[in-house]
This record gives sequence, structure tokens and C-alpha cells, in this order.
Amino acid sequence: MRDLFALRRKIPPGTRRILTLLSAWLLLALLGPMLAPHPPGEIISGEVFGPVSAHAWLGTDYLGRDLCSRLLWGIRYTVAICMMSTALSCCAGIFLGIATTVTPVWVERVLGRLMDGLLSIPSLLFALLVVATAGESAPALILTMAIIYMPGSYRTSRALALRIVRMDYITAARARGETRSFIILWEILPNMTDPLLSDIGLRFIYAVLLLSNLSFLGLGVQPPMVDLGSLVRENILGMAYGAPAVVVPTLVIALLTVGINLTLDRGRV
Amino acid sequence: MKGRPGSLSAGRSVMGRLVMSRLGAAGFSLVFVIVTIFVITSALPGDVADTLLGQGATPEATARLREALHLDQPAWLRFWHWAGGMLTGDPGRSLLTGHPVSELVLPRLHNSLLLAGATAAVSVPLALAAGLACAMFRGGWFDRIVTFLTLATVSVPVFLIATLAVFVFAVQLKIVPSLSDIGSIHSVWQFIRVFLMPVLTLTSVTVAQMVRMIRACMIDVLSAPYIEMAVLKGLSPQRIVLLNALPNAIGPVVNAIALSLSSLLGGVVVVETVFSYPGMAGLMVESVAARDIPVVQCCALVFCVAYLALTTTADIVGIASASRKRDA
Amino acid sequence: MAGGRLAGTQPRMSRRGVLGAAALACAFSSRSAVASPASGGHLRFAGLVGSAADTLDPARMAVGNDFIRGRSFYDGLVALDDQLAVHPALATRIESDDFVTWHLTLRRGVTFHDGKPFTAADVVYSLSRQRDPAVASQQQFFARDMAEIRAVGPYEVRIVLEEPNIGFPSILALDSFAITRDGTTDFATANGTGPFICTEFRPGIVTTGRRNPAYWGVAPGVDTFSLIAIPDDMSRHDALLSGDVDVIGSANPRLVRLLREHGFGIIESPVGSYTNLGLRLDRVPGSSRDFVEGVKYLFNREQVRDSVFLGFARIGNDHPVPPEDPDYAADLPLREYDPERASYLIRKSGFAEADPALFCSPAALASADIAVVLQYAAQKAGIGMTIRRMPVDGYWSQYWMRMPMSFGNTNARPSLDIAFAQSFASRAPMNESRWSDPRFDQLLLQARRERDGGRRRQICHDMQAMIRDEAGICIPAFTTSLDAFSARVRGLRPDRAGQLMGYNFLRHVRLADDGAPA
Repeated sequence: MRDLFALRRKIPPGTRRILTLLSAWLLLALLGPMLAPHPPGEIISGEVFGPVSAHAWLGTDYLGRDLCSRLLWGIRYTVAICMMSTALSCCAGIFLGIATTVTPVWVERVLGRLMDGLLSIPSLLFALLVVATAGESAPALILTMAIIYMPGSYRTSRALALRIVRMDYITAARARGETRSFIILWEILPNMTDPLLSDIGLRFIYAVLLLSNLSFLGLGVQPPMVDLGSLVRENILGMAYGAPAVVVPTLVIALLTVGINLTLDRGRV
Repeated sequence: MKGRPGSLSAGRSVMGRLVMSRLGAAGFSLVFVIVTIFVITSALPGDVADTLLGQGATPEATARLREALHLDQPAWLRFWHWAGGMLTGDPGRSLLTGHPVSELVLPRLHNSLLLAGATAAVSVPLALAAGLACAMFRGGWFDRIVTFLTLATVSVPVFLIATLAVFVFAVQLKIVPSLSDIGSIHSVWQFIRVFLMPVLTLTSVTVAQMVRMIRACMIDVLSAPYIEMAVLKGLSPQRIVLLNALPNAIGPVVNAIALSLSSLLGGVVVVETVFSYPGMAGLMVESVAARDIPVVQCCALVFCVAYLALTTTADIVGIASASRKRDA
Repeated sequence: MAGGRLAGTQPRMSRRGVLGAAALACAFSSRSAVASPASGGHLRFAGLVGSAADTLDPARMAVGNDFIRGRSFYDGLVALDDQLAVHPALATRIESDDFVTWHLTLRRGVTFHDGKPFTAADVVYSLSRQRDPAVASQQQFFARDMAEIRAVGPYEVRIVLEEPNIGFPSILALDSFAITRDGTTDFATANGTGPFICTEFRPGIVTTGRRNPAYWGVAPGVDTFSLIAIPDDMSRHDALLSGDVDVIGSANPRLVRLLREHGFGIIESPVGSYTNLGLRLDRVPGSSRDFVEGVKYLFNREQVRDSVFLGFARIGNDHPVPPEDPDYAADLPLREYDPERASYLIRKSGFAEADPALFCSPAALASADIAVVLQYAAQKAGIGMTIRRMPVDGYWSQYWMRMPMSFGNTNARPSLDIAFAQSFASRAPMNESRWSDPRFDQLLLQARRERDGGRRRQICHDMQAMIRDEAGICIPAFTTSLDAFSARVRGLRPDRAGQLMGYNFLRHVRLADDGAPA
């Protein structure tokens, strides 16, 4: 709460814009499926990769299902799962990344090696292990994605924090006898928000794309539900015919991710 | 702080010690990863006996085959044999085919390094130039266009970029081959034809990531007080970025580049699949599916070494640039 | 031994008699008459599955590209034609009085690629090693039925079976029973007697071969070939469309329109392969007969055929015999999609609220799509089902046949006897529903020793009816295999034995460089 507050005090107008956009997407995720004209598993047409029509507002998919309905469900899953896992991985990664710059050296020695280890284990292996042991529930999914992206966030924030820690005002704060958590939250974090927001935005994009890879592996959203990336993947053959089933979900992904990233960029001081 | 080098005069030797300890730590990570990978692959359900017998496996046949392949030995014993072989430079034999692991891995490693090297050669200079330019002309039209383009590229799933590229350039326009037939390369021109699309696809992804990070780091450094001093002194923005800001941003910038590049060996399954490129990532996926543990271990080892080499280099560069600053 | 009694009392069956008995009652179109004179050239092929697990060891061959390699570099003792009839290959005569002891006369003057003459020792070695567990043969199940394999002369082999089986020659047509040189343990290259000599084999990357100038049979129509695998559907089609390969296997129904628009040919082979749902009868909810029957009524078979396979399929009747098979039981009514009846039966079973999980995977062709069709039908009938799509990785060993309801995928078999024995007999290794009925086992044995074709057909009919009504297997459709080829490829034809002319296409195709349509 306190670091959020710190952010807010620092960049009020930008934060407002970010919050507005996020709530718009969350609202769409929450209400969208109620507007879906068909159930996500219903085959409504004998024509696959069908064009936009009165019957199927955004055309049909590779089985002849209503793309519009599937898209609305896809937005719900992608927005919810990716926002949660990104938030989780970045909170943990950033906190640990900064903390290890002000804690005794051995903490970084151990934690850093652990993170390096995690980063260099192929995420495929990791995901398969989760499917095999924990099954494919939504919390397992979110946690897996959070763990996969945490080490990257850790490394980036630590590299940024290391530079700040050498600044005079940190030395001054230490000399004043401030606590470590005070230094982390009030002296270091507010001074590295710009690159951090950039990093968070990128991680969100990766989460959206990773989710579709995990779905393909079996860990992700289960049929007949779908996430946005999988929507593109399952309809990829429609590309040969220029079908809306592959174009529209791609545009929605771009709208979601580019929009959030641009807002994060503009949200700066 | 306890244990943190504070003395300015001892900079060089302190840096030497830091580098050594970083290398030691990398070795420690390596051991950790090898053990973890072995634990994970052993924990995955099924083994190579199931793969070999396929749908026709009966419990009896599977048990006998396991015995023949020594899979009935306890895991620690198998690990011991493998580690022992590895220390003497012998990664063992594939359980699936019986061929030496090195025969399987080396040609694939060569291919992967070729692809990663070509991609790095294109993307790193491009990303540095674009990132620095964005920082120099922050908020200008160049910055806006590059920002939008990088975000848009990175948002499109890689499999879509790759598939679309093949469909347009190989099928419709017929200017490049649809398959990465490395065996057909006998001239520089053929090399370019074969590598053009995989490299461009990978570049589009890695460049976007690197540009974003480099730009962010530079902008962050540019907001420091001594830069404001330089601005007040009337130095040109280009001069400030290159001479004042860049040296201070080297640590995070190199770190960002290293992270992006580290995924070029193991994280390119999609590109290898779409372009039919016989690289390491595909081998690893296939070997995991077949539970061919010696091959999985060897691939994981290679990825890990590559990753650690990159990040350790980045760290050492970071330490060096920091100590240079201290010495100054 | 059941059949032993017949020995000596019956006249020796001629080769034609026995081979004909095992074959299906269809006219044989001789391939040698169709094959044109060699025209040369290099043919490039891309199949669906290839990995580091690619093999040249017949014992381990399990996927399409393995079979193609096997049938190009090796010969079997017998060969199947496009109607699954058995024809002589390395064995010129196969005779038996009692269907237990089989006498094989081998072709003379055949040599392996390394120059060594082909003799009985090679046959004994190639067949015997399939029984060794360390070899991990895909066909251990049938290999173990061969109690004795002995050379009784330089060109004569005697095989004694555990039980009589009139369909034994068809079993010898299985890919794993291809003949390698006596004593071969290293399969880094292929030393067979086949029409092509292996020039390069890199697992997961490429296989190349050149014409065997000393081949004993009809010379193939191409000089050399290269074989690769492109598992990604779009990329495989791109390779064909861009002219980088000449033939692809497993064409996707969704890209057939694109291929035709670009002037490429498509071969539709009515093969007996199917994707099925297996309900384990020894676990809930499959333990309830009503539940199993209810699920069978939930399959909207027309929708599976038309929406999942885009019409490139034939509707199945929950037994493994495809409609074009001469022994297909046409009088059994096709099970219609009947949600009311399904709902009634499932409610009666008491498992209406059980919300069972349907395990599917990209490993089993189109299984997730069929699961979606089934789940939606169930939902409309008021029955909840959960789809669980699992990774390809480990699906066959961990989920298929282990879970109460899992989708499987079965390739075309050389004969109905093999299909029944492998997947439906009580001791069958792939008995997906754990169905066990002594009457069925009895019928299977009876058919194997029945000399009268009409009575065998009747037994086969009864077996189909039993599987349809009793087993926990739902077979909504048989897939039609699609091969696609460029205009310069000639001689590809549909084949019931499997895709790509029963994987034998390299022996039969030739290249026309004028580019005119075939």
C-alpha cells in the first residue's frame, strides 16, 4: 500500500490514466462474456474461417464457432490471468531486486544464484512439471507464470537499484539511520519508476504470449474456453485466407498490450 | 555496509576479487541447475521405456526394457554415473537411439550458435543505435515511431510473425526458401537467403525488447543531477548522451542485452519449428517428450552455460564500469 | 493344439489359396502393371512427425516417416496392395495346413545393399529379435505368438504359432517385420534389400536415399529422394506451395482449398484410422452400461465429420471397421445423435451430476475438437463434462487408457483380425475400455481357424455388433488421409493400407518435368 501511495504522490495524472485504462479492460473482462451472443463451444456455421456477417459479427473460427463470443471470453481469461501474474512476479521481483542492494552481501549471493538458476531452467520443463504435479488449475497457472517472470524482473530492478544505491542521497539516508525498508520504499523505488514501468509493461506483453504457449502445452485455459493468444494460434491456418478469425484477435492483443505500454510510458513525470 | 568494498584506492584488486567471486557463483548456479534439471526430469511422469514401446507397451515389456536400459537403478546412482561421465568429458549415450549424446548435440549446437550469432550481430547494434537515438530525441517523432513500432512488434505472437513471413516471402513472392536447409549453403548469398527470415523474425522480437530497456535506462540516467549540470553547461544533447550518460548506464544496458540474448539458444522453439531449423531448442523439446534424460541434461547444461556466460559477462562489465567510476 | 488335428487330412493349400483367404475379396490391381519405366529425378518429401526419435530399426518404427523409410530401404516377406490384399515379396510362397505351422519359401537371387545374399538366416534373425524385450519392438504382441522361427533350408523358413491364425500373412506385412541382415544391431544406416539405398540418415533432420541398381523387383521411378518432417501444419504446406518439396503427407483439411487454388493435387485415401473416446468399463462412470450407451448417443457424428474433418471423414458406428471395408456390417443401424435418449440414459445411470473429465491432447488427432463437440452436446442435454487438454508430452503413457475417459488415436491396420486382436480382445495390449468378453475372444479364435470365407464374414459381422454394443469405445468417424503433391509428381493413388500409398509411394511415383497436370 505504501509504495503504491508513493507512486501516486509522485505521478498523479499518469497514474490516473493508467488506472482508467486498466479498469476499462477489467470491466470488459468482467462483463464481456455476458454480451456474448453464443456459448464459446457452439458450432454455429458449417463454414470455417467465415467472413463477417449478421449471424457471426466477427466471422467464424476454424470449427465454425462464433468468433465474437470466443473473443469476449478470451479477453476475460487473458486480462485476468496476465494482470495477476504480472503483478505478482513484478512485486516479488522488484522488491527482492532492490532489497538485495541494501542487505548483507550473502543474501544476494544465495538469492542471485537461485534466480540465475530459475532463469536458465527452460520454462517448458518447468511448466510440464507443474502440469504433472499440480494439474492445470487457474492458481497453478498464475503462480507458474509469476515464477517464470520473477527472476527477469529481479535482475532488471537490481541492476537499476545498484546504480541508485551509490547516489549521495542514499548514503545520506543511511547516515541518518533510516531503516532498510524505508530506504527501499521511499528512497530507491521512487527514483527508478520510469524504467521499471517499462519493464512491467513488457512483462505483461510476454505474459499474454506465454499464456497461449502454456495453453498449447495443456497448462493453460482449457477448451472450450480460450485466451487471446490461443485464439490466434488455433486459427493460424485462416491466415492463408485472410480470415477475421486470425486478424481480429491479433489486433485485440495489440490494442491491449500496446495501449497499456503507451499509457505506462506517458504516465511518467 | 558489512563486507561491501568501500575503499577507493583498492579499486583494481577489489574488482578482481568481485570478478572471481562472480565466476565462482556462476559455477555454483551451474551445479544447482544441473541437479534441479535432473530432479525435474526424474519427477516427470513416464520414462524412455514408455516412449520406445509407445502405444503397444505392456507392463511386463516395459519392466524388462527398463531393466535393459538400467532405468531400474535408483535416480541418484544414474545421476552419479552421468556426472562422472560429464567430468571426464563424456556426456553419455542417448537412451532413445543409443548414439553418443555429443553426436546429437554438437551439430545442433553449431546451428543454434550460428542463428544466435547472426541475430545478435544484427540486433545488438540496431537496438543500441535505436535506443540511444530515442533517448537523445526523447519525445520527438523518431522516439514516438520507434516506441510504437517496438511495442507493436513485440505484441504480435512470434509464431504469427514467422508464419506470415514465410507465407508472404516464400509462398507468394518466392524470394526466399520456406525451409532453412543449412546443408545447401555454399556461398555467402545462400547463407543470406537461408538465414534472412529466421534472423529477421528473431531480430524483430529481441530488438524491440532491447530498445525498450536501453531507452528506459538512458532516460533514467539522463534525469540524474550531474546531467542537469552538463545541460546547464550548454553541452549538446547528443554529446551528453554519448559521453556523460552512456558510461553510467552501461551496467543496466549490458544487463538488458544479455537477458535478451540469453533466450536465443533455448527460447526459440517457435522459430525453429516454423522455419524447420534444426537447432538446440527443438532437440531439447523432443528429448523431454521422449524422456531421453542424458540428452535433456546435456541441452540444459548448454543453455545454462550460455546464460551464465552472458549474465556473468554483463555483471562483470557492470562491476568494471562501476569501479572505473569509483577510480575516477 | 487346436489346428493340429487337421494336419494331413486336408490337402496342402496352395499359396494362392492361403494368401487369397487372408486377403479381402477385391480385385487386385497389379502395381507392376501401373508402374511406368523409370524416369529419374530427385523427389523431396515432407511428412508430419519427425524427431530425434526417428529410427531405421524396423522394430521401433512407430510414425509415418519411419514407415516410409522402412518401406523404401527394406522389404517385407509380404506386401499389401491398395485393397489390403496380401502379395508375395521376399517370401514367394507361404503355406500352412493347419494355420499353426507356416512354411515360407524365400525369393532367391536377392542381395542386401552391402552385397550379402538374402537367405533364411536373415528372416529368422529379423523376426526373432522382435521377441527380445531389450529390442523394444512395437510388435512384441504379435511376435510373441510365433513360438518357433526356424530355418529349414537356405531359402526355407518354418514358423510355428502358439494358436492357429489364418490371417498370419497379414501380420507379416506389419512394418516391424521388415527384413534386415542377420546380426544387425547398429541402425545408424539401413542395410536392407529394398528399392532404395540409404545415403544419409540424420534423425530429426533428413533422410536421403538413391535407387538400388540391383533391386530384385520393379525399379522405382525416381533416382534419389530426400525425406524431412515439418510438424507445423502451415509450414509443411508452405514448403509445398513454395516448391521446396514435391509431396507432403497429412495435408490439413482446412488448407485443401488453398492447395487446389494453387494447382496442387490431393489424394484422398479412405484409411481405417480413427480418433476415438475410450470409456474404461472398470472405473466410474464407465462401469455403468447406461452411461456408456448414453455417451455414444451424444456424438453428433455428422458434425464431427463436417466441422472437425471438413467432410474428409466417414461416419463410424463405434466399431473399428470402416464403411468401405468389404466385411463392414452394413445392416447394423448407424447410431444417431439423440440427446434426449442420451440424457435419459445418463440420468438413469446416476452419473448425470458426476461432471466427468474428457482427457484429450494434440497427440491424438483432432481429439480436443471432438471433445468440444461432445461437451457442447452434453451441455445441451443437461449433462456437465469437463475437457482436460493435456500436453503431447507423456499423453500416451500417462493419460490415455489410464483415465476413466480418454481420447485415443488408432492407425489403419493391415487386417481386421489385427485390429480386433490389438484393441478389443480381453488380453489386447490396447484394450482402451478394459472390455473383456470370453464370447468375443472365442469368436476371434474361431475366425482365425475358419476356412470358409462366408462363415468368417459372419463371425466378423457378429464381432462388429458386439464391439458396437458392449465395448466402451466411441468411434464417431474414420479419417480420410490426405496427401498433397505438386504437378510434376505422377503415380500417387489412393490406398486403403494407409496414407501415401500405404507408405510405399516412393516405390511408385515418378516425376514429369513438363509440369503438365497428371
